[in-house]
Amino acid sequence: MRRVLILLVLLLGAILAMPAIAPAASAADAPSRPVVRVGTEGTYPPFSYIDPKSGEVTGFDIEVARAVAAKAGWDLKIVRGTFDSLFPAMDAGRIDMIANQITINPDREAHYLFSTPYTYSHGVIVTAAGTDDITTLADLKGRTAAQSQTSNWTQVAKDAGAKVQYVDQFSQTAALLAQGRVDATINDNIAVLDYLATSGSTKIKIAGDAGDEVNKQALVFPKSDSALRDQADAALAALKADGTLARISQKYFKSDVTVPNAGQVHVKGSDVGRSTAQVVRDAAWPMLRGTLKGTIPLTIVSFVVGLLIALLAALARISSSWWVRAPARVYISIIRGTPLLVQLFIVFYGLPELGVDLPSFPAACLALSLNVGGYAAEIIRASILAVPRGQFEAATTIGMGYARTMRRIVLPQAARIAVPPLSNTLLSLIKDTSLASVVLMTELFREAQVAASVSTRFMALYCLAALYYWIICYVVSLGQNALEKRVGRYAV
Amino acid sequence: MTALVEVTGLEKSFGDHRVLRGVDLAVDSGTATVLLGPSGSGKTTVLRSLNVLEIPDRGVVRIDDASVDFASLPRDKRERNRAIGALRARSGMVFQAHNLFPHMTVLGNLIEGPVQVQRLPREEAVAQARVLLEQVGLAGREDAYPAQLSGGQQQRVGIARALALKPEVLLLDEPTSALDPELVGEVLAVIRDLAAEGLTLVIVTHEVRFARDVADQVLFLDGGVIAERGGAEVLEDPREERTKQFLARVLEAR
Repeated sequence: MRRVLILLVLLLGAILAMPAIAPAASAADAPSRPVVRVGTEGTYPPFSYIDPKSGEVTGFDIEVARAVAAKAGWDLKIVRGTFDSLFPAMDAGRIDMIANQITINPDREAHYLFSTPYTYSHGVIVTAAGTDDITTLADLKGRTAAQSQTSNWTQVAKDAGAKVQYVDQFSQTAALLAQGRVDATINDNIAVLDYLATSGSTKIKIAGDAGDEVNKQALVFPKSDSALRDQADAALAALKADGTLARISQKYFKSDVTVPNAGQVHVKGSDVGRSTAQVVRDAAWPMLRGTLKGTIPLTIVSFVVGLLIALLAALARISSSWWVRAPARVYISIIRGTPLLVQLFIVFYGLPELGVDLPSFPAACLALSLNVGGYAAEIIRASILAVPRGQFEAATTIGMGYARTMRRIVLPQAARIAVPPLSNTLLSLIKDTSLASVVLMTELFREAQVAASVSTRFMALYCLAALYYWIICYVVSLGQNALEKRVGRYAV
Repeated sequence: MTALVEVTGLEKSFGDHRVLRGVDLAVDSGTATVLLGPSGSGKTTVLRSLNVLEIPDRGVVRIDDASVDFASLPRDKRERNRAIGALRARSGMVFQAHNLFPHMTVLGNLIEGPVQVQRLPREEAVAQARVLLEQVGLAGREDAYPAQLSGGQQQRVGIARALALKPEVLLLDEPTSALDPELVGEVLAVIRDLAAEGLTLVIVTHEVRFARDVADQVLFLDGGVIAERGGAEVLEDPREERTKQFLARVLEAR
């Protein structure tokens, strides 16, 4: 038992030491050009989206950010996440800058630094095509508006008296409007125009202006990093002077939105003219890549580490010592009593406050492993207890100690009992990895969302994602059958 | 001549229930001792105490040169385990429900102790195991899993497994009670052979006729004490009333 405890402590130590070692190593061979990590959605055309042809992140804000980086001499590293994860990621020190058409407002100015504005736009109210009783902000009173949680438009909608329904991205909102599930949304005129041009949708329309205020959008920096902000400002001034900003704007909007009162904005749509079949074909590879580089490694690492944790927790749970039993009980209770989503947020956005700053993949692995560990521990414990008492006695009489009895006699028999329920845990885990997108992991479902945000072909793309998940799970269930035969071959 | 097994003042309680109230016994090398008694008399607890599957509250158990005084066990866990392990290694145990390892073949069951615990080279352990299987009449069944054997065969493997560790004394806890009647004979025959070869045996059994055949010593337990002891003649002509009643009941049931 003592050896098991030491192993547990070493394992925990290793996990905690990982982040401490990693940054130290990278700081030693830092390049002369500073690496600037820019956070962006990648699902917000035309400002930030994945070009379906090249698979690269592009868009107006991305091109501006790249131009700024080139002028300022930065190495730009793009980090993708949902809109609502961008500001937490900055708070947690995971990104140095946000380029996502972020509107300047007093709340944000209190917590973050803004560059000089490079986009001027105004808000519009969007409704379903058939809605004719909403044209001004006053009409929103008592109606339901779909908004991103941390978007500045959310406050505008709330101030107008609307009930707010939270969503992740604009393309979802558009679908909710068309389906009549929400009444309206407020968003930037350019983003809405792009959606209308891309989707060719006649189901939603711009119903009116959301006030007459002009909004200014800029790059966002942490409060502590005014040097980086100053470099960006210098670069933006130079880009404005040499006409680069105006040129990028003309390319996307056929007018210069980088100055106030640009006049009529024309949006050609970031994705037009592809058939559904083509959209699916184009998305198939990025989704497969997300599966191979995100979903599957995440599943394998989390399951293996999770089983190890589970085994230790299960052995601790059946220990004769209260001091060993109690922590295992608490751990299992916490894991089973809290949502996985909350666990992911705590590991990724909470632990950095305590100085434990894990990158996306290790963070997702840690949270998922701990989660699997909690559930599997109870399965393993029950399986060990299901091995007849006489087996322990027989092992004792031939002189085996605790560790050898477990390893040679009890666990092989417990494995046979545990395989079917542990397979269930694995199948759940495969599907739970889709939550890892909240910690900026790009996995299968995130890729489906990315493709859907540009093309608006929800049904086809989400069905394709479902098919991918089903295939993985089917293969796993075949493996389960084979494993059940193998660990149970002695039973007649 | 000193006895091979010596037990003095053995006491054991489970909660408020005093199962053993001071048991003394001695077993000479090369003899067979039969423990008899009604259910709950403590005979199985005595047997399990010899192998330290139960830890007695008080009393001394000695087998050959290994001895443990349970009233003053070492406080240090490691030292205590070493003392108990040394005593345990002197005896082999055969269970009523055989308790074979179901995930190992017959051969695997036999070599598990010698290879894993005694660190015997595998080839040597396998060679020994084959001899033992021959002895219990199961040559050729090395690769069978326990579930593929009959109850009688399983119990014979159980005996061979206990013998594989070369114990000084073999303990058998009602080795035929869980068997179908037609399978009892083959197991008893194996035990008879072992007794004839001069292996030291301590057997808890209800098979009075078999006991009469093999027993050099009969111990009749009742209420946690040895109520009567003697040679095999105790079974023919008991002096104690309790022994008479018990034998009458057991023989009647046959």
